[in-house]
Amino acid sequence: MDDATREALAELLLTLADDEFVLGYWDSEWTGIAPMLEEDVAMSSVSQDEIGHAKAWYELLAALTDDDADRIAYGRSPGEYRHAALMNHARTDWALTVARRFLYEHADAVRLESLARSSHTPVAELATKMRREETYHLMHFDVWLRRLADAGGEARDRLAAALERLWPDASTVFTPLAGEALLVEAGILPEPLDALRRRWLERVVPACEALSLPVAGADVPPAADGRTRRTQDFAWLHGELTMVARSEEAATW
Amino acid sequence: MGDSKDRVWEVFRQEAEGDPMVHGGSVRAPDEELAMHYAREFYGRRQESHRLWVVPRDSIVELDDQDLLNPPFDRSFKRPGGYIIKHKLEAAKARARGGSGG
Repeated sequence: MDDATREALAELLLTLADDEFVLGYWDSEWTGIAPMLEEDVAMSSVSQDEIGHAKAWYELLAALTDDDADRIAYGRSPGEYRHAALMNHARTDWALTVARRFLYEHADAVRLESLARSSHTPVAELATKMRREETYHLMHFDVWLRRLADAGGEARDRLAAALERLWPDASTVFTPLAGEALLVEAGILPEPLDALRRRWLERVVPACEALSLPVAGADVPPAADGRTRRTQDFAWLHGELTMVARSEEAATW
Repeated sequence: MGDSKDRVWEVFRQEAEGDPMVHGGSVRAPDEELAMHYAREFYGRRQESHRLWVVPRDSIVELDDQDLLNPPFDRSFKRPGGYIIKHKLEAAKARARGGSGG
């Protein structure tokens, strides 16, 4: 693999890891306060799955760049993270959490389906393994989207408001990468991200329409800064999630 | 924690293919779908189960009538242990060892 392709792969791995890492942290905030005891356990477990997936991507990246997974995860400034802007939003209410998970899980599913065919074996193997776990995530948030939509009243209103707020950022999961052409050429990324975005739209838009949920703004392509734009909400989360690592920087955990 | 529309579901687990289904515990959930998700979270996410059965508690027919289950008279002769068959087994084995004449 030449240096330019290696650099492009590193960029891809960082986006995959950061998406899972940041979302896993936001949703782990539900531990102890989810709507019911059973959901509390389920949400905590799903969040933990995402942190586990982030760890696997960070380790692949660390091996590629001769770095350390913990250093990448916890040793960067907020501006160095490359998660999609969809993950910039604070946890907010249960409806926003469900709406974001629904949008993200489908985006991740489309992405992993494609990466499972990657020419780079470690990526293909990891994506194949993760797909098995993500199937359950997809089922779980499809159910919750339907439940809140069918409940009517406040639940439905909050869900609709959350979707209206998130749609403009949802497509940022598919923000073009600087080295994307190289990755596609090498078959590491079997398809351009925009092709994945279209496939994602074919799934999420009809699902929302069937529940009479808003879809305005769904098909707006991601802005160029879709993975570099950061918010105050994320700056706060970054402070939280790096707190322990920063407390003793030389420590071996 | 939940509301009155929630139902209780009993969860049975099988550790390996062919093992008997054993009662694991219960979960509370508003419908079949979430009951299955929560059963998976509580009784299957650590690779401890090969199969789960999720059954609404109110579908279970319960029998706990002690007159039927523990009748007052001595019924020990109905238990297999009531018959001493050790010597019969030994005789049968000896016949089997003895060859085809049986």
